Amino acid sequence: MKDMKFSTLKKLEIILEGEYQKFATDLLDRIGVKGYTIINNLSGKGSHGFHDGHLMFNEDDVLIMIIAAVPEPLVSPILQGFAPFYNEHSGVVFVSDILVTRLVKFSG
Amino acid sequence: MSLSLGMKAQIRSMIFVAGEPIPLFWPMRAFIHHNPLHGLEKLPFNEAVAEGKRLFHGAGYLPRGVYQRYYREGRIDRHALAEGVRKFLAQQPSVEGIDQQTWLIKLLTEVETPVTAHGIPPEVDDLAAALFAERPPVAHEVDVDALADQLCAGLLKDRPLYESLDLLFGTGIGDELDELVIRSCLDFFDEGQSIWQMPGRDQGFFHAWREVARRNAWLFLRDRQIRETLAIAEDPEGIIVHVLEYLQIPESHWMRYFRCELARLHGWAGFIRWRSNARNYYQGRRFPGDLVDFLAVRLTLALALIREREQGGILTGSEHIEQFIRQHPLEALLRQEFHGKTILPAWAQRVKKALLAGKQEQIEQIGKAYLQDRKLRVADTLASALRRLALRADAGAALADMSRETLGKLLALVQEAEKQEGMIWLEAMEATAIQELLQDIRIVPPAPKDKRPFAQALFCIDIRSERLRRHLEAVGDYQTFGIAGFFGVPVSFMELGKGSEIHLCPVLLTPKNLVMEMSVNEVQGTKTLTAMEKVLHELKESVLTPFVTVEAIGLLFGFDMVGKTLAPRSYQRWRSRLHQAKPHTHLLIDKLNREQADSIVRAVQRAVIAKAVEHEFSVGPEHIKDGLIRELREAALGHAASAPLLQSELGMDAERAQKFIEQLRRIYRINTADSRLQMERLGRIGFSLDEQVVFVSQALHAIGLTGNFSRFVLAVGHGSQTENNPYESALDCGACGGNLGLFNARIFSHMANKPAVRQRLIEQGISIPYDTWFVPAMHNTTTDEVVLHDLDLLPSTHPIYLDRLQNGLVAACRLCTQERMPDLNFVADVSNPAQADQQALRNAMDWSQVRPEWGLSRNAYFIIARRSLTDTCSLDGRSFLHSYDYRVDTKLRLLENILTGPLVVAQWINMEHYFSTVDNEHYGSGSKVYHNVAGRFGVMTGNLSDLRTGLPAQTVLADGQPYHEPIRLITVIEAPVKRVQAAINQVAMVHRLLVNGWIRVVIVDPETGRIHIHSGGEWQEYPQVRNAENLAENEAMKL
Repeated sequence: MKDMKFSTLKKLEIILEGEYQKFATDLLDRIGVKGYTIINNLSGKGSHGFHDGHLMFNEDDVLIMIIAAVPEPLVSPILQGFAPFYNEHSGVVFVSDILVTRLVKFSG
Repeated sequence: MSLSLGMKAQIRSMIFVAGEPIPLFWPMRAFIHHNPLHGLEKLPFNEAVAEGKRLFHGAGYLPRGVYQRYYREGRIDRHALAEGVRKFLAQQPSVEGIDQQTWLIKLLTEVETPVTAHGIPPEVDDLAAALFAERPPVAHEVDVDALADQLCAGLLKDRPLYESLDLLFGTGIGDELDELVIRSCLDFFDEGQSIWQMPGRDQGFFHAWREVARRNAWLFLRDRQIRETLAIAEDPEGIIVHVLEYLQIPESHWMRYFRCELARLHGWAGFIRWRSNARNYYQGRRFPGDLVDFLAVRLTLALALIREREQGGILTGSEHIEQFIRQHPLEALLRQEFHGKTILPAWAQRVKKALLAGKQEQIEQIGKAYLQDRKLRVADTLASALRRLALRADAGAALADMSRETLGKLLALVQEAEKQEGMIWLEAMEATAIQELLQDIRIVPPAPKDKRPFAQALFCIDIRSERLRRHLEAVGDYQTFGIAGFFGVPVSFMELGKGSEIHLCPVLLTPKNLVMEMSVNEVQGTKTLTAMEKVLHELKESVLTPFVTVEAIGLLFGFDMVGKTLAPRSYQRWRSRLHQAKPHTHLLIDKLNREQADSIVRAVQRAVIAKAVEHEFSVGPEHIKDGLIRELREAALGHAASAPLLQSELGMDAERAQKFIEQLRRIYRINTADSRLQMERLGRIGFSLDEQVVFVSQALHAIGLTGNFSRFVLAVGHGSQTENNPYESALDCGACGGNLGLFNARIFSHMANKPAVRQRLIEQGISIPYDTWFVPAMHNTTTDEVVLHDLDLLPSTHPIYLDRLQNGLVAACRLCTQERMPDLNFVADVSNPAQADQQALRNAMDWSQVRPEWGLSRNAYFIIARRSLTDTCSLDGRSFLHSYDYRVDTKLRLLENILTGPLVVAQWINMEHYFSTVDNEHYGSGSKVYHNVAGRFGVMTGNLSDLRTGLPAQTVLADGQPYHEPIRLITVIEAPVKRVQAAINQVAMVHRLLVNGWIRVVIVDPETGRIHIHSGGEWQEYPQVRNAENLAENEAMKL
């Protein structure tokens, strides 16, 4: 463990409706994010009411979360890109500091 | 120009949001009904309609004359209309001295055209002068600043800059630009219709177009301007920013600017929007293109046309135009009236001459005189209309004595009433439809029968099932259920001989499981076939598992890659042969285990390697031995360093051998990464036992069929049968993604018949007796015929009952046709069911028939209830029927599923019909007679037009008048009121549809006998006398 080298990255947790998954991943791809994890069928309550995660027959209207670890310089372009979208849609983006051991997996 | 990463992302995001109100356009092979204003559903219905009018110029309500006809025919109840007017008046300031209710009722029901709809607000003084025959007020000096403000708002806001130029200077840029953009789109997005295809399409729309434009293939007139613009930036975002800056559009207006640009050709924009978002659309992946590309192309061309005019002395740039308007408001007014074709005809010639002469003084003089004349004419027209209205309201004297102040109030009231009248009519029409339905329903269900029915049948919720269900129930001992026609099983399906998957489920879902159709028999004539077939043949001969077919190869390797790399022509021939006579098939529904999947991957890899050797080195199969293939496979997968046999047997050096191994890895995809991917893909085939149990259990629970199973349970899918009809798919099953419903019926029946599934269902409280058999069937909605399928799988105990079943179906079908045919105006005498039957069949086969059936027209209700609620009344083929028994839905999950899935799909269908009917020219696709297929995915009117969206006139109109009665979907839910409200509140998007008025909801509470309706933003109890006897009976009925 003592040889383990940690690098600092930013973690983005992007929550939006399932219908917009392609838009969001496309934007991340274009900005150069190397990978992300998508969690489907989130439940929760926000300003638009309660969202239930179990809707079997409608994937467009459930909330999803896209988690990405990115180098700091990409955070601002990503937030700038999502800004017009979030002016019109429900959802949030959380940004936090994280440490990773294999930096090569996350940065170009 | 090089934009920052963030700016590029921001532009993309702005364009994405700007494009959202543009309705998606699905290729017509799989026509998907959808609400053309879906992107505006976050707004209340009437506001969305107003926004739709602004963007697409479409009307949101029928013309008054049509509502008046409904009123005369009783389709709109007079009490309902009176109630609507009362509610409206309660929110308006009162006008003393007149009976406002009578005035407005007379206005709506007896005056055919709106009296205040000429767009120019009249002034009370002018109106009073015209009304009381006074001398017209002295013309005041024109307030030029106010006029300039008004013109700037109208000319510069919410429209592309060239539209302002067209209106001011008659430059005609808009139409020319649209034509150029359509041609560019046709060239790029073509799917095989055109002989010439744009080169370099795999680079994407903008880049491919850019190359063509640079080489000056057909835009020769604007050569220099286009090249200069394209030289500014490499990427589409950079071009877009450049054009907007050149045109002096402030950044805060960009998003609205994008939206206006997209709305001009909303059919094409909607197609591109859909296509770029469709993950599995082959053409979209191969030739990518999105709205950013589209706008870059459009704006480049727009700028070229504007600059061309610029050279002719026309102003460009938003600021310059504003300056011009502010300096010469009267000239701008005359220009707008003249070029916008709104000028009073008597003035046209004078204005034209003055504008040509260009003398400011003269122009201003004429401008002032014109304004005065227009004001007086508007006042005169309005005064006559008001006088006529007053006479009808028996208030001629009241009008004559009216004070100026009261007249002002009256004018404001009439204006407001005419603004809101669409909604008043619509609500009255809906109230009438609700009343008609509720008077016939049976709130208290009859006592259950002891004996099980002879047969049960699960039909799609589609409105066309209602008639057939009603007749089937009437001709014998049948019980029917309604369920979304994909039977709750979302599946991606690969039909025999087709290289691509289709999604058999509502478009709201992406299926995770793949089912393949397999030929039961060997494909014939393999000796005469080549390349591709040999791969197939070899696999069939040598492979241990029965699962490998040409589809499996396609699935694993990408069918087109194999077909095109190895033998394109023979591949095509083989494909077409397969289409000629479709062999008997079975479906691969159960999941493969790991060994089976592994052996398939190996077998396919071996076959592909053999073909690769044959192809690359031109050697016959006799030289390609098993050992060599094994060795090559090992080497390609990195398990061995070299392939000595390749060198020795085919006599080549190490370097060439190594190069070939590299080719195997790269071109033929024999490598570990692809192997893993192939295993993953095979993992998608079929459903695991757990999944099958879940799907069957969920479907049966959802419709309340959990016991008392009959000997036969039919799963009836549906589809239409028409010839020469690009809209054929619109008539198929919406719940199956606009495809035939048969495959889902087969898949569902297979699962439900499986002993292991049934065993597990017992644990979930569903005990299916050993003698119950699920039989898939197909309901042809054009002929009403029902055909049973997979009868070869029927247990030996069942065939003796088959005759009775088929006779029952035939009887029901014929009665159904007899009921339906008069609506199609084909037979005058339909007392003879046989004659009606023949007519329906002829309809299906006639290639010149523009209206083979009425499809989903006249849909009005969505009933989520036990069948007993409506089984005693005829719903006239107007209702979606979803079976639902609230007593088995303790957690409300089933209801939430019905609301979020089937209801949403039905709402799309309903809204598509609504808007295609109220304004067929803008929201529908006009007459089929003028349609031409475009690019193999859409239709245009004439040779060149926007892609036509929505439904054709023949689907919703009869003799130019609405056949479909446009109302919002009336959703009736049978369950305790608190539970329904809880379920709706639980689901944000359905709640939004309700409160924004995109659906109407009525709750029938079987436990209290009360009915609640959501109206005016709140739940209200529907006036109905409670029947004490019924309630007592109901208490006894509770579980």
